[in-house]
Amino acid sequence: MQDLLFGQFVHLDLATALQVVLLGFIGGTLSGFIGSGGAFFMTPGMMNLGVPGVVAVGSNIAHKFGKAMMGSRRHGEYGNVDKRLSVFMVATALVGIRLAVWINSALFEGAQGDHGAGGSGASNLYISMVFILILSVVAISMLRDALRRREGDGAPSMRITNFLSRLHLPPYIRFKVADVTVSLWVVMAAGLATGYLAGTIGVGGFIGVPAMIYLFGVPTAVAAGSELYLAQFMGAWGAVNYAFQGFVDIRLTVLLYLGSLLGIFIGAYGVKVVKEVMIRVVTGVVILLCVLSRAIAVPIYLRQLEWISTNPDWDTYFNQASKAVLFLAGISGTVVILYNVVKAYRQRRRIQATLIELKPETVTA
Amino acid sequence: MQVICISRGTLGRGRELAELAAKKLGYSCLSREELVEAAIKEGIRVGKLEEAMLKTRAFGERLAIEREHYLAFCTAYLCDRAMEGKLVYHGRTGHLLLPGVSHVLRARVVSDQEHRIQAVMNKMGLERSKARKYVEDVDEDRRRWTKSMYGVSAEEVVNYDIIVNLEQMSLENAASALVGIAQLPDFQMTPASKKTMLDLRLGAKARLALARDDRTCGATFKVRADSGVVTVSYVPQDAKLAEFIPDVLRPVPGISEARITMAMTNILWIQQEYQPHSETYDKVVEIATKWNAAVELMRLAPEAEYTAAQPGLLAESMSEVVSGSRDAYDGGIEDDTAELPDDNGGLKPTLDELARIGRSGGGRAVYGDQHQLVEMLGRHVPYTLVVVGDVFLSKGAAAKLRATRDLRGFLSDRIKAPVVTADELKSQYLLGKRDVVRTAVFIGLTFGIYYLLFTNQDLVLEFLSNSGWYADAIEGTLLARYGWMSKIVVSAAVFLTIPIVAYAYGSVTSAILKWIKME
Repeated sequence: MQDLLFGQFVHLDLATALQVVLLGFIGGTLSGFIGSGGAFFMTPGMMNLGVPGVVAVGSNIAHKFGKAMMGSRRHGEYGNVDKRLSVFMVATALVGIRLAVWINSALFEGAQGDHGAGGSGASNLYISMVFILILSVVAISMLRDALRRREGDGAPSMRITNFLSRLHLPPYIRFKVADVTVSLWVVMAAGLATGYLAGTIGVGGFIGVPAMIYLFGVPTAVAAGSELYLAQFMGAWGAVNYAFQGFVDIRLTVLLYLGSLLGIFIGAYGVKVVKEVMIRVVTGVVILLCVLSRAIAVPIYLRQLEWISTNPDWDTYFNQASKAVLFLAGISGTVVILYNVVKAYRQRRRIQATLIELKPETVTA
Repeated sequence: MQVICISRGTLGRGRELAELAAKKLGYSCLSREELVEAAIKEGIRVGKLEEAMLKTRAFGERLAIEREHYLAFCTAYLCDRAMEGKLVYHGRTGHLLLPGVSHVLRARVVSDQEHRIQAVMNKMGLERSKARKYVEDVDEDRRRWTKSMYGVSAEEVVNYDIIVNLEQMSLENAASALVGIAQLPDFQMTPASKKTMLDLRLGAKARLALARDDRTCGATFKVRADSGVVTVSYVPQDAKLAEFIPDVLRPVPGISEARITMAMTNILWIQQEYQPHSETYDKVVEIATKWNAAVELMRLAPEAEYTAAQPGLLAESMSEVVSGSRDAYDGGIEDDTAELPDDNGGLKPTLDELARIGRSGGGRAVYGDQHQLVEMLGRHVPYTLVVVGDVFLSKGAAAKLRATRDLRGFLSDRIKAPVVTADELKSQYLLGKRDVVRTAVFIGLTFGIYYLLFTNQDLVLEFLSNSGWYADAIEGTLLARYGWMSKIVVSAAVFLTIPIVAYAYGSVTSAILKWIKME
C-alpha cells in the first residue's frame, strides 16, 4: 500500500484521478438509478485506491452535501418534501454524525502505527464491518422485495409501522405532507441511526429512506424527497466535522463531482425506462457485490492489526481482488443501465404516435 | 340526470337520509355497497385494494392498475345510472368520480359521535371503549381510502356544496334541506355539464375496455375523452402493447377517433386561445420532446364566453326553477339541442397538430375560473410541468399580469409540479443566449477552481491538515493558540467551497445536457 501524504492523503496521479472520476460516474449513475447517494460504491471504491477509510467517508460526505443541495430543490417543486419531518430527524441525525466522527477519528488516531497506512487499519476494519453488516441487510431486503413483487403485488409492508403505532409512545407528531402521525421517540431514534450510519460509512439514503417508509409509513416519493432534503444538512454537518478533524480530501470530493453530476442524469433517465423490479434486482446484486468486495479486503486490516498473521505480500492481491469485484459490480450495473437507456432512446425515435380513424359511431346520449 | 352524491360515515344515518331524499325527489337510489358488488362481479379485487390501503398505504404496480380499473368501472357505472335517470348516490366520496360535472350536488352528512358509538354498541354488542375505537378506526380507514384513491382529504369542506349535521336536525328536515338545494339553478344540468359527464363516461369505458382485454390489462394507461375523441397515453415500458390498443378500442361505442401517445409524463398547458406553431407552442413541444411527455391542453375561458354563446339558456333555466315546475324544467334542459360554442379557441387544430407529432395528451375547455380548472384536472395524472400561457385576454395589461400571477400561485399550491408562465419557460427549461453566457462563466469558474486545486495540491493538503505553510502562517496568532480555531477555519473553507464547486459544475453539466436535449 502506498505511503500517504501528511499521514492521511493519498497520492493523486493522473491514473488515480481518472479512477476517482470513474468512481464518481458509476456512483452517480447508480444513485440516479436507485435514488440513493451512491456512497455504497464510492466509499469502498476510494478505499480500494488506498484512501484511508475515514478520509473516504469524510470526502464522500462532503460530496453528498453539494449533490443533495442541487437535487433537493427539484423534489420540493413536486411536493415530495416534508420539511417538518426532515427537521425533526436532522436534530438527532447531527448527533449521530458527531458520534460517528468521534468514533472514526478515535480509531484512526489511536491506532497510529508504522504500517505505512497511517494507523488506518482499525478504522478501515470498523468501517468495512459496518458496511458489510448494514448493506447485506439492505441488499437482501431489496432482492426479497423484488421477488415478492413478482409473485404478487407488494407495496412496502406496514407491519413495523403498525407495530410501533400500537406501542403508545407519546408525544406524537403529525407530518402533513407525508400524511403520517409518528411518535417523536421513533423519529429521533431513526434520525440518530441515519446520522450515525451516514457518518460512519457515508451511506445515508439506504438507511433514511427505508426508515421513513417502513418505520413511519411515509409514501416512497415523499421519503426520497425528504431524505434528500435532510441529506443537505447531514452532508454539511458531516463535512464540517470531518474537515475539522482534517479528514476531508477536497481533491477527491471535486473529482467525484466530475463523474457523479453527469452520471446522475443518466441514471435518472434509466429509471424511467426500466421496470421497477429490474431496478431492484440490479441494485440488490450490485450492493451484494460491493459487500463482497469489502469482505475480501478485511484480511488486510486484520493483518495490520496483528489479529491474524498472513504474508504482507498478500495484501496487494487482496486489495486488487477487492477492487476488481467492486469495479465489476459498478461497471456491470452501469452497463445494464446504459444499455437500457440507449435502447429506450432509439426505441423512442422509432415509435411514432398513431392517428387512428375508427369507423364513425353515433355518440349515445 | 341530476346526481346527488351523499358522503356518509358508518352508522351515521346517511343511508336513511339518502333514501328519504330520493323518495321526496322521485330519484333512484344507489349505494356504495351496490357499486362495490357490481365491481366485484366485474372481477375487480376490491377487497385487495382495501387491504393494501390499510396495510401498506400504497399500491404496488399491479394494484395501481387494478385501482385504475376500479375507478374506471365505478365512473362508467355511475354515469350510466345517471344517464338513465336522476340519481341519489350515497357512499364515501362518489362525487370525486365525477370531477367538473356541475349538476352533481356534493353533500356530506355528519352525525353525532355519541349516536354512532351507541349504534355500534347496540349493533355489534361491544362495550363503549371498543365501540369508540371501532368508529375511530372506520373513520380513519375511510380517510385513508379517499386519500389513496383520489389524492384528496375527505374532511376538507371545500370538496362539498353542503354539509348536513344531524346532531340537531331531524332526518325529515335534513332531507327537505337537501331537496331545496338540489333545485337551485347552480345544480341543474347544462349542455356543458352534460358534455363533461359524457366525456367522463366515454373515457371510463375506453379505460375499462383496455383493462378487460388480456392483451392490454397489465399496462398503465392514461385515457381522456373529449367529444368522441379518445386520447390514450402509455409509458415506454409498455410500448410492446401499444399495437393492440386500436383493436381493443374499436368496439367501444361512442369513439370517433383514438389518439395514442407514448409518454413518460404529462405537461399541462393552460391558455385561453391556442395556435399551432405559435412561440409558446414551439417551446412547449420542444420541452415535451426532450422529456418524452404528452401535452395536455386546458382551455381556460371566461364563463361569460359560454353564456354569451347561449344567451337564453341560463335565464331560461332559472325561470323554470323559480316557477317550481321542476319536471318541466328538467325536461326542457335534457331536450335542449343547444351546442357548445363552435369556436373552441384553436383547441382542435392544436390538438390535431400535437397528435400528428405524437405528443397529444388530450384537451378540454373550462369555462369559469381557477376553481373550475382545478376541478377538471386529473387527480392521478403525473404532471411534470404546468405552463400558464396567455389567459385573461379580456383584461387590461396590468390586471392580466396580476391575474396570471394569482393563477400561477393558486395552481402551485394545489398541483405537485412546477408551474411556470410562458415567459419563464424559455429561461428555465430551454437554452437561450443568457444561458450560453452563464454557462461560459461557470465553465471558466469550474476550470479555474480545478486548475488552482490540482496545481497546488501540496498547499491545499497542508491547509486541510493544519500543517506546512498554514501552520507557519498562523504561528503566534490566536488561531495557533487555540488549535480548534484554526480547524474551524478549515471547516469553514470546506463548507464554503463545496457548494460553489457543486453549483458551478452542476450548472455546466445541466446546460450541456439541455443543449443535447437529454436533461
